[in-house]
Amino acid sequence: MSRLEADGSVEERWGGLVLAALEGPAALEAQLSGADATPREAGVRPSPARLGAFIQSIAVEGFRGIGPRQALELRPGPGLTLVVGRNGSGKSSLAEGLEVLLTGDSLRWKERASVWREGWRNLHHPRASLRATFLVEGERGPCVVSRLWEDEAPFEAGVASAQVHDEAPSALESLGWAAALRTHRPFLSYNELGSLLDEGPSKLYDALSSILGLEDLVEALGVLQEARRSREKALKEATDARERLVERLRGVDDPRAQRVVAAASGKEWDLDAVDAALGGPASAGAGTAEIDALRGIAGLEPPDPARVGAAVAEMRGAGVAVAAARETAAARSRDAAAILEGALQFHAAHGDGDCPVCGRKGALDGAWSQRQKAAAARLREAAMEADAVHRRAEAARRLWEGLVPLRADSIVRAAEAGLDLGALVKSLGSWVEAGSIADLGALADHVESTSGPLRDAMVRLRDAARSELGRREDAWRPAAVEVAAWLKSAREAVRGGTDLKGLKPAEAWLKKAAAGIRDDRFAPIAEKAAGIWEHLRQQSHVELGKIQLTGEGTRRRVALDVTVDGVEGAALGVMSQGELHSLALSLFVPRATLPESPFRFIVIDDPVQSMDPARVDGLARVLESASADRQVVVFTHDDRLPEAVRRLDVAAEIVEVTRRDASVVELRRALDPVGRYLEDALAVAGTADLPSSAAARVVPGLCRLGLEAACMEVVRRRRLGRGEPHAEVERALSGAGRLPRLAALAIFDDVERGGDVVSRLQSEAGPSLADAFRQCDEGGRDVQPAAALDLVRQASKLTAWVRGLS
Amino acid sequence: MTDDGEPGELLGMADRLLRRADPATAGLWPRASALLALRALEESLHRLWERRALDLRSCSMRTQLICLRSYLDDTPLAARAGHAWSALSRACHHHPYELAPTSGELHAWFSVVSELARRVGLPSETPPPGRS
Repeated sequence: MSRLEADGSVEERWGGLVLAALEGPAALEAQLSGADATPREAGVRPSPARLGAFIQSIAVEGFRGIGPRQALELRPGPGLTLVVGRNGSGKSSLAEGLEVLLTGDSLRWKERASVWREGWRNLHHPRASLRATFLVEGERGPCVVSRLWEDEAPFEAGVASAQVHDEAPSALESLGWAAALRTHRPFLSYNELGSLLDEGPSKLYDALSSILGLEDLVEALGVLQEARRSREKALKEATDARERLVERLRGVDDPRAQRVVAAASGKEWDLDAVDAALGGPASAGAGTAEIDALRGIAGLEPPDPARVGAAVAEMRGAGVAVAAARETAAARSRDAAAILEGALQFHAAHGDGDCPVCGRKGALDGAWSQRQKAAAARLREAAMEADAVHRRAEAARRLWEGLVPLRADSIVRAAEAGLDLGALVKSLGSWVEAGSIADLGALADHVESTSGPLRDAMVRLRDAARSELGRREDAWRPAAVEVAAWLKSAREAVRGGTDLKGLKPAEAWLKKAAAGIRDDRFAPIAEKAAGIWEHLRQQSHVELGKIQLTGEGTRRRVALDVTVDGVEGAALGVMSQGELHSLALSLFVPRATLPESPFRFIVIDDPVQSMDPARVDGLARVLESASADRQVVVFTHDDRLPEAVRRLDVAAEIVEVTRRDASVVELRRALDPVGRYLEDALAVAGTADLPSSAAARVVPGLCRLGLEAACMEVVRRRRLGRGEPHAEVERALSGAGRLPRLAALAIFDDVERGGDVVSRLQSEAGPSLADAFRQCDEGGRDVQPAAALDLVRQASKLTAWVRGLS
Repeated sequence: MTDDGEPGELLGMADRLLRRADPATAGLWPRASALLALRALEESLHRLWERRALDLRSCSMRTQLICLRSYLDDTPLAARAGHAWSALSRACHHHPYELAPTSGELHAWFSVVSELARRVGLPSETPPPGRS
């Protein structure tokens, strides 16, 4: 948030989008649609987490390998505790028990078949319960977390509760640990460590990035991405649909289709024009001329046969009347009047003069004009009847023109609309010849004979135009439905397109900001991881450089700058299983020990599998430094880590786990192996429970075990101190064989001098210790019950002497 | 070599250590019972040699176990006995980084030892005529 404000971009439109996206998809959509973002809801704040928890005890009953209740007591505070037991001894049940207690599940079960989960109950013990006591900083008393099952209840039915000191018991969730259990997961198991690297870089990224507290940003980024993607998708779909639609519309013979094509073809779609083409009348806009032409033709009135007949009859009648009037006085007067009127016009134009017809001199003058005007008027009157006949003939002649109301331009447009005009043109060609026929009778005959074919041609043309109109309507209507559908999605897509202008910069900014915050927060973890790796790598050729979280979305990954023998850019594939586990530990110990984690403990289950001894030394150092301010509990299945811890003098408590029959699991504080064997021997020698004959047989063997362990301890300390490689030291020890050779290795640093051991002991340590050595070596020989205790005492002195060797 | 315990008795003690939960023997029972069982196994062999009037007791156990294959009319059992001996013997010596055996492992070895002890104790284990 502060970054957003620092960039001063909150004012920008997309700044608001970032803020809205942080609140969720609904808020983002509201912001985009211009509505006021709903006020941020005051979410139910989880009660503050109880911080600084150390484990005081873990008690497990009837769970997995543990039958009767068994409790692992721990010193609640920083320090290292090793819980050592063979596979199947029940130690993992303790580790799992704690995980299940707190999380309700176990990661190691998730990967496995359900039969694994179903076997959670211990077969030997009907009651099942898990309980752990934590000391939490700032609380006056311990915090007890428990998960209890009714008899026969399934795994999921366990009831978890927490009780802090004298407060009332409440749900486990009230501790506020749920999120931290995921992000700072204080449990690390061998399987989990292995799978984290196996599952690929994006899983690893998720596992590491979860501690950085970037979920909000990642989620907001997801919201923005989703909004952008949905809009881009809509836009793309509309674009694709547009192509299909245009293709389709090109085949639709309708001007509206062409208008839609034109409107949708440009870079910016003219959706209003598309809308207009859909809803508006066909005559509006371009491309409608054809429809108009077709409509014109479709509305043609072909010559009405009755009118044609009447016209023809009138022509004939007028013709007869003209012929009859030609012989009458009226006709003569009419003609004479015409001549006189011409002469008067001549006199008016040229003045007095000779007669232009007969040539009589001075015939035309004012008096003549007066006379003749009166004569012409008289003649006109006399010619009236003849004029009427002539006017009738003129009118009859024109009758044919009115019979066919055809306009030339509509014919031209009809041709453009694709109608066949051949027959019409031909018949019209004959028809219009009427204009050049002077004789009314002939004209009547012509009209009569040509009107039929013309009418036929016109009717055919009209019908063709009508059916063409119908066809075009049929083609348009379904296309119009598609256009309407497209228009709807296109409008949304275009609206979304404008949203994109804000969404894209918002996303880009958030991405950059998230990467910046991520790098800042991850840097100290990477640094710590690199430090741990330096301890764990030991003789490994693999150098670990920068560790970075990079990319986002599907390309997110953990970039490990791995160098093998100086060759850069090597992949994880070149690393051995042990190295991979070490790497995983390097990454996850820092995660689990971040100061913001409420847990002050980490529980590591079997980290030493597939580690060679040198790396175990490194691990001991790593655990030592982690235990400076954390409670580190490590479960391990063999003695490598305890041995390294003892040899390197790392302060640690070691607890041994053994499991008798019927899932009776026993825990005991362990001394180093030498002390433990001797203590066991003492217990056997002194126990009233064992028949003394048994003690007599067991005690020398246990003393020998202690002596052997002491010899090995000396050899290992000496040789490793000289800088010999671990592997060679181990080879020497395991190749030594029986006690005298081992003792020779310890005393003379020469395995071949076994024969000199007893004499050296006699001179240096005294005859009684030399005798004890012989008794231990022979092992198979019993001691008298009374001597058993004495043998243990001598053996203790002997081991002390051996351990004093440098 | 003093008193040789009854192999069955030794094994019985080992088995009790294993089965009975007892704070006094918590944690020490794996090695202790292994020691007892190993003794029971070796004792069974000694009894077999005595019965056959063979002086093999001073030979190494390796030699004795090889001989067992010829003198016990049950080669598979002899082989299992050999295996159980080396496993028990390993448990009775300190080896770097190795923890004590589990009760499951011990049970399996005990059953071999017990079978061997029973076979050695049976009258039928007397050699068939003409064989000795």
